[in-house]
Amino acid sequence: MGEFGDILVTAVLRGGIYALMALGLSLVFGVMNIANFAHGEFYMLGAYFAYFSFTTFKLGVIPSVLIAALLAFAVGVIVERGLFYPLRKRSKKNWLMNTFLLTLGVSIILQNGAKLMWGSRYRGVTSYFGGTISVGTMQIPNDRIFAFAVACIAIAIFVLFLNKTKLGRAIRSVSMDETGASLVGVNLNMIHTLTFGLSCMLAALAGACLLPLTPAFPVMGINPLYKSWFVLILVGMGNLGASIVGGLIVGLLETISYFQFGAGWQDVISLAVIIVILLVKPNGIFGKKGVKSAAE
Amino acid sequence: MEEKVLSTEKKAGMLELIGKFGLTPLGAAALLTISVLPFIFRDEFVTRLLVATLMYGALAMAFDFTSGYINICNFGFCAFWGLGAYTSAIVAIRLGVSPWVGMLCGGVMSAIVGFGLGLLTIRLGGIFASCMTWFVALAMMAVTYNWVSLTKGSAGLNVPALFDTVQNAPYYYVMLAIMLLVYFVLMRITKSNMGMAFRAIGQDIEAASSSGVNPTKYKVVNFTISCAIAGLIGGFYAHFIGILTPQALGTAKTVEIMAISYIGGRGTIWGGLACAMIMVPLMEYSKGLMELRLVLYGALMIAVMIFYPKGLVGLWEAVTAFLRRSNKIWKPFRKIFSKNGAI
Repeated sequence: MGEFGDILVTAVLRGGIYALMALGLSLVFGVMNIANFAHGEFYMLGAYFAYFSFTTFKLGVIPSVLIAALLAFAVGVIVERGLFYPLRKRSKKNWLMNTFLLTLGVSIILQNGAKLMWGSRYRGVTSYFGGTISVGTMQIPNDRIFAFAVACIAIAIFVLFLNKTKLGRAIRSVSMDETGASLVGVNLNMIHTLTFGLSCMLAALAGACLLPLTPAFPVMGINPLYKSWFVLILVGMGNLGASIVGGLIVGLLETISYFQFGAGWQDVISLAVIIVILLVKPNGIFGKKGVKSAAE
Repeated sequence: MEEKVLSTEKKAGMLELIGKFGLTPLGAAALLTISVLPFIFRDEFVTRLLVATLMYGALAMAFDFTSGYINICNFGFCAFWGLGAYTSAIVAIRLGVSPWVGMLCGGVMSAIVGFGLGLLTIRLGGIFASCMTWFVALAMMAVTYNWVSLTKGSAGLNVPALFDTVQNAPYYYVMLAIMLLVYFVLMRITKSNMGMAFRAIGQDIEAASSSGVNPTKYKVVNFTISCAIAGLIGGFYAHFIGILTPQALGTAKTVEIMAISYIGGRGTIWGGLACAMIMVPLMEYSKGLMELRLVLYGALMIAVMIFYPKGLVGLWEAVTAFLRRSNKIWKPFRKIFSKNGAI
């Protein structure tokens, strides 16, 4: 396999999680037209919830992750009902910018609320499943494989849900045309709430799976947040299928620049790439008609 | 009789003169109060806090100049502040020039990069432009972290002080001068035709360009001015605080400035200053509440967003309009509360 194989494996493992995060962000943008800046905070919540159910309540790995996802879903529903719903009643003009600032406020509250409740110390678990698997020349921790597997399963279930169920089709119809969807009897309020909850759930899943690798602390969300924004800008906003591919591309890009330039500079490289992409293809590399465009 | 007419004319002349600087009489009185504050309190801690207050106020005004007028939320604003700070510090350390020159260099450097950022965002609108500014800022922060030979990375860079004294009053007056400069410049620009062009672009870019406003030019000009101010203030900050870490370029700082500016009121310039005057001391003195105060801060921001988008300025306008209508006692003071509400 050699070095190339190592890069590829690392990239795929990384990219799966990015795809999971980006999928939720993209969903909320496509359906509700919200640029969610608090997405990373739900990742943080997921990590905390998983930590407490795993260590304090001594639940198994799978139940912990599931509980984290469900709780984050509940928080997401509360946030949507409590904040975006009243704002939607009041503002139509400048909605995108207003909600963006609103999510900033949510992010401040969740971050500092977490600090208030749980302090700013790191809370992590050493491992979910000990041991490693050797792939080629590399030793990969089982936890990484687990996280990747969960990401894959979640994405698969989610895609099936969107395409095969009535509810999923309703969500997709709202993302295509809100007025049309409401004309044929889709309950917009319910769909919006559900969508936001699901998006939070996906972010929390990522946070919960990665708990052995990144411990929970209040400001952990910023990195996954901008990685998922990165994916979205790369492939075009609200383009669900492409954001999965985008996650893998970002994973690959980061891993290559990590191997080439060392830790630290990888951020500079990937940011430089994204800036260039925003410049030459503002609609993303898979930009197509019907997807919301950068030029507005 | 004649004398009386003359004196009222004189008064009107005075008002006009003050008005030319973008001040109402009330604003002038507030300015006088602000300028003697260090002598009232005579406390180093309070003076230091006042410097921070003015600094946040000036930054919020510069932020509002972009977000409130051309309607692009510069999400990397503090990176330009940090860039100015680092430039000023490095120029002063490496080349040994005086910190005053360093501050100017900081402003110029940020203006140049801000010009570049303006060019980068030409094709982008709304949230994408914000993302672009954010990514540029993150890249700048990452470079600051990693270019250890120049910036000392996360260990922090020691910066020579602006004055050889431990007192904070001199810093206060420098900051006050900068703040006033920023205020007058921004007030002048926003009241001129250029300000009108900014507003036009912010409201409807297509309508603006079809009526002859060149959006590219004005966007770039706006970014350059706003970033130059951030850089200048950054230069001051470096020599005031004495140590710089790359954290200064981070998103958290931008969010703070943004919150101050939005709670103050969008597209008003002085709203940010007024809000900083209230919020910064309030935050400092409520430190006992720990994280709760930041939670409340976020809640306030959300409440303003949902229920009162006009912010503090809107509130002030409502109050003065009520006073103007309600009572004859206020008649002599009418001129004090000018109609457009600016202090």
